[in-house]
Amino acid sequence: MEARVAGVPEDEESGLLPRPSAAGRRPSVAAARRAPPPPVWATVDGPLGLPLEEAEGHARRFFLWGFACLPFLWAINCCYFWPVLRSPATFPSSAAFSRIRPYVVRSAIGFTIFSVVLLTWATTFIIGGERLFGPGWNDLVMYNVADKLGISGFMG
Amino acid sequence: MADAAAATVPGEASSSSSAAATTTVLDSLGEDITRIVTPVSTCMLLVVLLVSLLSSPSSPSPFTAAFSAAAGPGGGGDDITTALITAVTFVVAVTAATFLLAFLFYLRCTPCLRAYLGFSSLSVLLLLGGHVALLLLSRLRLPLDAASFALLLPNAAAALALAALSPASVPIALHQAALVAIAVLTAFWFTLLPEWTTWALLVAMAVYDLAAVLLPGGPLRLLLELAIERNEEIPALVYEARPVDPRHGHNWRLWRERTQSGAELDANSTVEVLGEVLGTNLGASSAGNLGVSAIRSDERVGLAGDARNLRLGTSMPNLSSDSASAQVEVLPASPEISVSVPEMRVPLIQPRPERTRDEEDDEDGIGLSSSGAIKLGLGDFIFYSVLVGRAAMYDYMTVYACYLAIIAGLGITLLLLAFYRKALPALPVSIALGVVFYVLTRTLLETFVMQCSTNLVMF
Repeated sequence: MEARVAGVPEDEESGLLPRPSAAGRRPSVAAARRAPPPPVWATVDGPLGLPLEEAEGHARRFFLWGFACLPFLWAINCCYFWPVLRSPATFPSSAAFSRIRPYVVRSAIGFTIFSVVLLTWATTFIIGGERLFGPGWNDLVMYNVADKLGISGFMG
Repeated sequence: MADAAAATVPGEASSSSSAAATTTVLDSLGEDITRIVTPVSTCMLLVVLLVSLLSSPSSPSPFTAAFSAAAGPGGGGDDITTALITAVTFVVAVTAATFLLAFLFYLRCTPCLRAYLGFSSLSVLLLLGGHVALLLLSRLRLPLDAASFALLLPNAAAALALAALSPASVPIALHQAALVAIAVLTAFWFTLLPEWTTWALLVAMAVYDLAAVLLPGGPLRLLLELAIERNEEIPALVYEARPVDPRHGHNWRLWRERTQSGAELDANSTVEVLGEVLGTNLGASSAGNLGVSAIRSDERVGLAGDARNLRLGTSMPNLSSDSASAQVEVLPASPEISVSVPEMRVPLIQPRPERTRDEEDDEDGIGLSSSGAIKLGLGDFIFYSVLVGRAAMYDYMTVYACYLAIIAGLGITLLLLAFYRKALPALPVSIALGVVFYVLTRTLLETFVMQCSTNLVMF
């Protein structure tokens, strides 16, 4: 909420551009008075993304849904709130990000763990091959499974 | 863009403001054209790659066998009569489904439509995406195991369906990528139809698009008029060229708010709107000032107004996307609705084409909207890509010719949009040019090039 209030002068300055020159003197005076800080955006899309008030609920929802065997939602969470993830803890905007940051960091940790496990298993399966898994390897590989189920022939 | 706007403020001479407005219009239109052409080209390129990789001319597709079996012993299954019957049946089904959509939208069953959209997107991504992934794995002999495949496919399908359905919840780039992915998968499926059926479908859909959008009683025209009347967004999979520059976002959002406050003379609603936007309570004097500036801004008619109107509508999705994100939570709560809606439609050929067909009802003929950013229905993506994919089955020369024809048709449609300034069907011009160029390339250019190379005129 504080960041939202801080963003107001910037919006006013941008909105005052189409005004006539008589009214154009006011933004400079307002800028001299307040010295507005830069606007704070939690998402990679800036003003087109989610406003800061909804970001916490959104990040929390995506993080919790990621536990329903949907780790890609964790990846989306990290990509969407990349500014939150990348901003250093001592940054002035970290006060606004403090409630969003835990969910994004945990999403990053979860997706990293998922990626490591999956890549390890897939790499082991590909490189090991029949030597490591024996004749059962042919039953596990996907195109053989598709042939047995008769799925791949449908569009062949 | 902001610099041009800033330059307009000090000098109030009409000539300088007109020059700045002209520059703004050209920059804005050029940017919009680029943003529309890039995803269309990406979609067509991906379909051509898929067709080249996955279709082998030696083995005919089972759909051909199915169609010939359905047609009976009347010679080859892929004849013109069967193609015309299939195309007319498809168009009739699309028309009926679109009227049903307009009726549901009229009854304000937006959660119903949105739930059905989610169901369609997930079905396309899960089933068609799964099949294409299996074909790719088999063709490339990638030894991916069944467990990894079973884990990755639902994740990718769910993520892309969510990205396509609620643009406010994901980055804009992911939303656009999801729409392109759905279009690529659906277009690839259409290229598996027999050849004459595909061509008949393309021509029939172009004619349907023309009728549905431009006739006074057309279903898509009814939908658009309803949406404009209510100032709502049609729940549809529509690709929209949106800005990515934060400063543009600033100006466009504020500009829209000011125009809205200028249109409504009620002081209370004006204060409420501004309060919602700025997040603070404004005094009466500042609200009055903003209202006065809005009135003054409205007096500027001409190119400047048109340029701002082009950008004005772009900020609308920001407000409607909030309602979209609110309605996302309706999806898990209404599985019955999503199941009951497909039952209303009579399956004509197979369940999968029904879903694919129903999904395109939302997208066909949305065309280009002059009220804001350029919007292109996903059905347009699909049929452009079907045309190029069908050309890829013959020769790459026809691919280049069709691609250039489609982009030229899109450019012509944009020019017409600039003149008429209302929603136009994006399909007829491009499909007509594409088909004509395909036929000419296949009948004339090939012979010409062959004779040139035979006589050593061209190497």
